[in-house]
Amino acid sequence: MNRRAFVALVRKDLVLELRGSEVVLAMVTFVVASFVLFRFGLGGGRTAGGTRAATGLLWVAIVFTAMLALARTFAREREHAIWDGLLAAPVDRALIWLARSCSTFVFLVAVQVVALPAFWLFFLQDGPAPDYGVLIAAALLADIGIAALGSLVAGLASAGRAREVLLPVLFLPFAIPLVLGAVSATTGTISPQTSGLHTLERLGYLALYDTVFVLFGWGLFEFVVED
Amino acid sequence: MNTTAAARLDRATCAALVAAVLMPVALGLIFFYVPNDADQGFSQRIFYFHVPIAMTTYALFAWGALNAARYLWTGDVTLDLRSYVPMHLGVIFGTLTLVTGSFWAKVSWGTWWYWGSTELNTFLIIFLFYCAYFMLRFSVDPGEKRARYSAVYALLGVGLIPISVLAVHLGQDVIHPITFTDHGANMDGSMLFTFLMALAAMLSLAVAMYLVELRGKRLDEQVTRLRRLAEGTR
Repeated sequence: MNRRAFVALVRKDLVLELRGSEVVLAMVTFVVASFVLFRFGLGGGRTAGGTRAATGLLWVAIVFTAMLALARTFAREREHAIWDGLLAAPVDRALIWLARSCSTFVFLVAVQVVALPAFWLFFLQDGPAPDYGVLIAAALLADIGIAALGSLVAGLASAGRAREVLLPVLFLPFAIPLVLGAVSATTGTISPQTSGLHTLERLGYLALYDTVFVLFGWGLFEFVVED
Repeated sequence: MNTTAAARLDRATCAALVAAVLMPVALGLIFFYVPNDADQGFSQRIFYFHVPIAMTTYALFAWGALNAARYLWTGDVTLDLRSYVPMHLGVIFGTLTLVTGSFWAKVSWGTWWYWGSTELNTFLIIFLFYCAYFMLRFSVDPGEKRARYSAVYALLGVGLIPISVLAVHLGQDVIHPITFTDHGANMDGSMLFTFLMALAAMLSLAVAMYLVELRGKRLDEQVTRLRRLAEGTR
């Protein structure tokens, strides 16, 4: 693997973001606004469905936010012809996918630094809470899966007509098992159903999801950028 | 018509004839031969429609994904249609699976949709995937790029199926009737025979539909090509 090329590609995404602040800021605003929307939508006092329902909403909001980031980063590259430059560069196509996945992962983590405390504030402070360690571990594992698969699917969607609509349509069927696994891991730790093995099994599932789609992304991305 | 097309015509006709014979036989067995289920009674007969249709959908998907992989491996453009047609038929059979599954849920559990059923929910995810495949295919202009993108997405489904099965199992309780266990089929002889006949009928119908649609799509491509040539020489 060409490490210098990989570092340069990740750096390019991060520098673009630092200069423009187009993606992370929009994601943070979106995720916090979604929490507020859910909070009012589900009732003012206590959340209907309790902490379990709230944890589900967290993952749904994270998936939608990730799609926002993926759509925006690919659109930006198309608009500024960065994509053409990338294709002309003598680097392995899989490396472009890996770098894109890593930068998306960094964006997601950055957003969650704000989103998770906001989530606690809106939904968890007055009820039984899940294990925060598990919540963070599940968030990181889910971020890897979203970034790896999302970078591949966003590449597919970016070439089609109505790409803004296409990305969620292509990505959501794959997000369902991810959300199921993540919700299952985090709500499983809410008292009284606490079981270490149960949680480990669900985190293991998320790791398996990541492994499968990292392998698919690594193997298939070269067919997405053959132009 | 060349020899290959003639041979394909024969295969399509043969498959259609087999389906035309097996379908009434299977229907006869389902309604007049197989005994009522001890637990669910007459209504359990929907099982002989629902499960063979679901298995045919999986077979179509597997065939489509296999051809997608072969397309990416060899670059042979004829494999694109061989991948697309099973996916198209998969949506039709998938819709039927969801409808018959919903009916079965109503007679078995008293609800049109049970979110605790692993099979129904896994199938719903896969069905959404099928629908997304079509959105992708029809949003890219026809050509090599569309074939490549469709193949990549079809292959991703190979990862999605086991992952979805696991996810639904992790998240929910299993209450779907277990028909096939590690020790074989959980049915008596007449039920198993009827089920196998229904499965054979459904598979032969799918093969006939596949061959007919493939031929139609190829003719369509040839007509488009000839029209372009005619426009060019004008």
